[in-house]
Amino acid sequence: MSLLQNLKNAVRSRSIHVAYVNVGSCNGCDIEILACLSPRYDIEQYGIYVHNNPREADVLLITGAFSPQWEDKLKPLWDKIPHPKVAVAIGNCPISGCVFNRPETLVDPPVSKHIPIAAEIPGCPPRPTEIISTILSLAPIIFKDYEETKK
Amino acid sequence: MFSIIYYIREFLRPKWIATFFTAKTAPLTTPPYFRDFPVLTDKECTHCLACMMICPAPDAIVVVQREGVWRPEITKGHCIRCGLCIEACPEDVLASGRILVYKKEEKLTLKASFQIEIDQEKCMGCGNCSVACPVNREIDPALRSSGTSTSDEVIMRVDAGQNKVLHEEKCTGCKTCEENCSNKAIRVARVVEALQGGEE
Repeated sequence: MSLLQNLKNAVRSRSIHVAYVNVGSCNGCDIEILACLSPRYDIEQYGIYVHNNPREADVLLITGAFSPQWEDKLKPLWDKIPHPKVAVAIGNCPISGCVFNRPETLVDPPVSKHIPIAAEIPGCPPRPTEIISTILSLAPIIFKDYEETKK
Repeated sequence: MFSIIYYIREFLRPKWIATFFTAKTAPLTTPPYFRDFPVLTDKECTHCLACMMICPAPDAIVVVQREGVWRPEITKGHCIRCGLCIEACPEDVLASGRILVYKKEEKLTLKASFQIEIDQEKCMGCGNCSVACPVNREIDPALRSSGTSTSDEVIMRVDAGQNKVLHEEKCTGCKTCEENCSNKAIRVARVVEALQGGEE
């Protein structure tokens, strides 16, 4: 393993940029993501930085049950994120649609139909600790030795 | 002048420098009173379907028989952790957080009544609902796949190409029939009252 790869691993493990996108959620999960930023949970101590720009993001957090307006918007947004990248579904809505997935509603869950989802956090909403621990356990798997394993 | 020297002296203390650079918040633990996904206790499930009746999320809880024992199963990704199944269960089969404690303190019981509505224009008499109904199957195990039955005690049965409701009061409100109807012709409406302080 090259020295450059070691350096990249070290930097990436302490610098995870997160963008979140709400594809039609009730805002409950968004509030839980914002609670991660608060002093009680403080995600910046783990090197996670909420940077709401897909071009600079590593991790995309998706909340919501996928409303029709997002049909042509989520895929381009996902393509804008540079590699290595990973998408995490937060809450029940991107997984199953939960209480919104009823007859004669317009939502189109699961989100994994539209973009590849690496991890799902169940809960309505999930606890901030669950969100943080998921990102922290997922990031090493995806980002470690990315250039080596890509070949 | 003295205050500047005092500040410099204060901030050069090795202990202060060490805590400044290695500060971490305390490890986050889930408190014991957190209402997490319901877990099974060792009580026996009696297959009364009260948990399925009260559950607000589709497909979140089903009561299934595994190795001859009835037990509720929670689907993560559907369950919203509202805890209503724990409150509704008369046998305390499920537990989560402090719900069982306050349920006992307040002598909480749920009283429910149900109305089965069948849209006769949409109903094609396939009998899926009568066959799927867990109460029907218990009353008349010989219920045929077309939904017809010789028993008058079943909740509903197919009669002359139409589904007829015979005993609405036996319905437990599990809404299995709703999920199995291909035409969305059958609806179960529930009226639930929460009662505190024991039986009235």
